[in-house]
Amino acid sequence: MYSIEMKNVSKEFKVLNRHEGLKGSLKDLFSRDYKIIRAVDNINMNIEQGEIVGYLGPNGAGKSTTIKMMTGVLEPTSGEILVGGNVPYKNRTKNAQEIGVVFGQRSQLWWALPLIESFKILKDIYGVSDEDYNNMLTLYQSLVDIEPLLHKPVRQMSLGQRTLSDILAAFLHNPKIVFLDEPTIGLDVSMKAKIRTLIHALNKEKNTTVILTTHDMGDVDALCQRIVIIDKGKMLYDNDTMHLKNFFGSYRTLKIRIDGNLKQQTEKIKFALPDFSISADEEWISILIDEEKAKVMEVLNQLQSSYEIRDMQLEEISTEDVIKKIYEEGVE
Amino acid sequence: MKRKGLSFYFRIYCKILAQDLKSKMSYRADFIISTIGMIFTNIAGFVSFWILFRSFPSINGWSYYEILFLYGFSLVSLTPVQCLFDNNWNLRQYVYSGDFIKYCFRPINLFFYYQSEVFDIKGLGQLAFGIGTLAYSWNKLELGFTPLMLIKMVIFLITASFIMIALQNAAAATCFWIQNSFYVMDLVLKFKDYAKYPITIFSPIFRFIFTFIIPIAFIAYYPSVVILRPDAVPVLSWLSPIISCILFGLSYKFWMYSAMKYNGTGS
Repeated sequence: MYSIEMKNVSKEFKVLNRHEGLKGSLKDLFSRDYKIIRAVDNINMNIEQGEIVGYLGPNGAGKSTTIKMMTGVLEPTSGEILVGGNVPYKNRTKNAQEIGVVFGQRSQLWWALPLIESFKILKDIYGVSDEDYNNMLTLYQSLVDIEPLLHKPVRQMSLGQRTLSDILAAFLHNPKIVFLDEPTIGLDVSMKAKIRTLIHALNKEKNTTVILTTHDMGDVDALCQRIVIIDKGKMLYDNDTMHLKNFFGSYRTLKIRIDGNLKQQTEKIKFALPDFSISADEEWISILIDEEKAKVMEVLNQLQSSYEIRDMQLEEISTEDVIKKIYEEGVE
Repeated sequence: MKRKGLSFYFRIYCKILAQDLKSKMSYRADFIISTIGMIFTNIAGFVSFWILFRSFPSINGWSYYEILFLYGFSLVSLTPVQCLFDNNWNLRQYVYSGDFIKYCFRPINLFFYYQSEVFDIKGLGQLAFGIGTLAYSWNKLELGFTPLMLIKMVIFLITASFIMIALQNAAAATCFWIQNSFYVMDLVLKFKDYAKYPITIFSPIFRFIFTFIIPIAFIAYYPSVVILRPDAVPVLSWLSPIISCILFGLSYKFWMYSAMKYNGTGS
């Protein structure tokens, strides 16, 4: 049995065609002029127990609609979904017992309560036995330093601590599947790393299926063996992360700022680094580096020997870039 | 999975409540100031009431103490809605910001889970004040005291609470449908103020509205007539416990239906 099965799943929303202006709004009051929007269009996927799947797509692609269908909040317009053998919409509460959900910015914990008290209430809500609960806490203690968090009200936590707490709370009842919606959004680098390590460890330890939506390719690199890309409701890609990497190479963009005439300098650098594509805006010179050809540090060293670099940035390739490239070139 | 019964929900509620109270008490200044505020609100309400009735010893055949009884009755019966269902006031913000979805992922009843999050302790002051007023006017009216009267009293207080809860649930649930439901909530709150007067002092039109459209007459008038005027109890009074249960049930269904419908529209 698959952990999640989706067969020809579509979701349509009925939206009123809005007219402009005051006259238009009056018209809208009585209008029956609806258009149908397909937020999710014929999606098929099977996910095995224990997989970590990165679910990517630009804003408005239909990611959260899919997640809402898998968690039983939304009913699909057509198609079949099975989550852990349940039809989520029909058995919302039963399904909820077997999944955990974290929405990046929206803490589901009790705002005023210390974390440990939230845990105790969740233990009762999900009917977790004392033994399982204690084992879980011991596991948590071995993975992260939760002591300072346990007695702190959620309200007083930093965003990073809160996200960490939310993830721990989502795994507390040992669900079969955990949905993480942008868990690392807005966090600093060290917190991101901490959270990635935690998710990875919990997945290994409990063989939990993890569905991760993100805009951060760093999350994908660190966690996902498989990624699914969706745009405008349609599935664009479903394969190993490695496969995409091979196709894509491992590109990063190095941005530098140097003194002097930007145009001239850019030309000079272009001459010095003929292998890379180089562009410039008002402030920055961007160098797209394929790390299979050269290491970022080598390029930086080479540049530093001939120019005085005032500032630099290193950018990972974004999901938007990936999708753009897939559109332009296709994947095979 | 076993079905979760009343005792399960009761236990969960008590746990959440105990923790919530503990954390509220830890903000001592906030706790004391809001308690004092509540006491003053009650005193102010009572004073304006007292001034009014000092100049009119009786209204339409209702004596001062009878009106006072109604006033106390409405205070007590409004306590549950104040204490237990106060989160209805925040519903609008949760829906507006999209945060409401976070309540949909627990394996327990959505309505229960949402309401259990907030317990408004300030309502307890109102309860004490209401009971005091009731006992005082009861004594002055020389109503006597039998166990049967006590049972009636409890039943009709619960009835009245249910009606108010139902009204508030329904008003709060409108936010799933319209942008600014504050006006609806506020309207119900304002009408609530009329609940403490005997309905016979209003014109027939308002009597009709307060009985059948916005049934606030059931919050104090119809139930307390059973105690105050046992010789001439309208049929509606005897029906009110049933009506209150039906209204509560309907408001709950409406609330849940609206919530699921709202999620269905996506955001």
